[in-house]
Amino acid sequence: MFKIRSLWFILLFCYLAFASSDLSAQEKTGNKEGFELEPGSVRIALLEPSVRVGSQSTGGMFEPNADWTEQAKENLEAELARKQELLGNEIVRLSLDNVHQSRELVQYHALFGAVASSVIEYQFFPGNRLPTKKKSKAFEWSVGPDLADIEAVKGFDYVLLIRTKDAYGSTGRKLLQVAGFLGAVAGFGTAVQSGEHIGMAGLVDVKTGDLVWLNADLAMGGDVRKVEGAEKRVQQLLEGFPGSSDSED
Amino acid sequence: MWLKRFSVVLAALVAAPTVAAEPETLPPYVPAYEPTTVDERGLWSQADELELLYKRSEHLIDDEELNAFVRRILCSTVGNDRCDGVRIYILNIPAFNASMMPNGAMAIWSGLLLRLRSEANLASVLAHEFAHFELRHSLQGFKNRRSTSDLLAWTVVLGNAAVVDTRNSQISLVGSIFRFNRDMERQGDLLALKYLRQSPYPSRASSQVWQYLMEEADARAAGRKIRRKDRYRAGFFDTHPTSLDRADYLLEKSMEYGDIGNAEQSAYFEAIRPWLPKLLADQVRLNDFGGTEYLLGNIAGVTGWIPELVLARAELFASRGKPRDLITATTLYLDAIDKGHETSEVLRGLGLSLVKSGRRKEGAEYLERYLAQNPDAPDAAIIRMYVPNGDE
Repeated sequence: MFKIRSLWFILLFCYLAFASSDLSAQEKTGNKEGFELEPGSVRIALLEPSVRVGSQSTGGMFEPNADWTEQAKENLEAELARKQELLGNEIVRLSLDNVHQSRELVQYHALFGAVASSVIEYQFFPGNRLPTKKKSKAFEWSVGPDLADIEAVKGFDYVLLIRTKDAYGSTGRKLLQVAGFLGAVAGFGTAVQSGEHIGMAGLVDVKTGDLVWLNADLAMGGDVRKVEGAEKRVQQLLEGFPGSSDSED
Repeated sequence: MWLKRFSVVLAALVAAPTVAAEPETLPPYVPAYEPTTVDERGLWSQADELELLYKRSEHLIDDEELNAFVRRILCSTVGNDRCDGVRIYILNIPAFNASMMPNGAMAIWSGLLLRLRSEANLASVLAHEFAHFELRHSLQGFKNRRSTSDLLAWTVVLGNAAVVDTRNSQISLVGSIFRFNRDMERQGDLLALKYLRQSPYPSRASSQVWQYLMEEADARAAGRKIRRKDRYRAGFFDTHPTSLDRADYLLEKSMEYGDIGNAEQSAYFEAIRPWLPKLLADQVRLNDFGGTEYLLGNIAGVTGWIPELVLARAELFASRGKPRDLITATTLYLDAIDKGHETSEVLRGLGLSLVKSGRRKEGAEYLERYLAQNPDAPDAAIIRMYVPNGDE
């Protein structure tokens, strides 16, 4: 009787174990077919990045941390500013406050996040492709054509959007992970994931709203709370950026 | 043996999280409070971001007079010093709700304004939300959810390792999160009552709010021909005590206080009257005949059948649109005109009701007048189809 009851747990943990091993097989970059960017040919607006940093409690809850978030924002912004010249095209940073139609811009930022999450779930993870995405591997995603109506992005060809969310595993979470692993010695082990590091960077065509390039990963590297870490994170976020000098390798 | 000890410890921990005892006097007031701990500062920074979304929301009603009115009620209830720390956002959502963020941003839904009958009712809702802020319930709830989910995680991992079935403990842990939330709501209710007792308003108005909601729910259930439900005991997943429970303990406590005051019924409707047509139009669109009839009748109990209410009732009947409803609607539209309320909504509704009842010629006359008043109305093209020679 008892064995049957715990079958539920075994199934759950098998699922968790498989789910995490599949992550490594996941794709991380998408490019709209035929999209190319000649260096020095376009103007790109970089929207103020959305940055959230906190820790992950033992039970897995996100605990927002104001200081870490401030620090990470500063680090990432500084690194982005430093990187701009290497990206091959003119890039202008747009702050989300104090611009006309900032409400709409904020909404587009969130919409981009939702679209990018869908890309991760339904395109980058081949086992989970939607029926319409199974046959053709074309990268066809969009935030809709109305982006061009926003005053602030007029005169730009593309918008670059960046979002990151980091939850650093607390000591309790790490201990739980070890205990879950050691549990297998006595009874059943439990797969516990510690920490969560989501990063997404995408380029959206202002005229059509199409997502022409996306780099997104649920397991990004680089500790954004530190200057060197932020450098690594920005490097990963902008890896293969269209038209940049390092996009070939 | 250690298994037994493990489950005893677990049982003790499961029972542990309860909200601190209800404060007997008003909590001490700290001007310009700033959060200091990592948790609270994190929550505030998150709330600051959310508040920006309120500010930029297309649902925000930024009418100065209405906002000043709601603010005046809050300040006269909790005191001018305390209300300084609060920003109020009135959101255009036709349902009963209000919420409070840890940083002092309060959201009031427009549907709430339609469901209250006096300044004192509004004061009790605002004081309840303020009590959440004053008692720092967001932080308490966050900490409770965190410690409980920590415990839940350990229960699962250790239970697996020891091959022990821990599902009962898991269920009680989950239940304790909701129970904790209900306790905080109750605490908010009772502190709000203390504010009301010190205010010019009678504290008994708090209990009324929940009575109104129950009556409306009954009317809605009757209109939809479904079973009505009154419960004293909250369910497992309920985040709030039941309306019946709240109406009951609030009445008991306010009778104990025995304070008196003017609930300011007429003043309340005078203040929200400019918004009444909009609030009523939104309500009529909810497709809740029974509930809306109840609301209209009760507002009329205070204000009398003012033209705005007559029009809303006409629209309610016209939207249900059974043959008999159209006769009622036509009568009510004509009543509204008699009361000097010949607005374009009345002309349009009256015209369409007549056309639908088969009196095309009379209907067309009113629709023509509607089009003359609003040649550029969004529905002008379709209305023109009912008017002879109107499609020139």
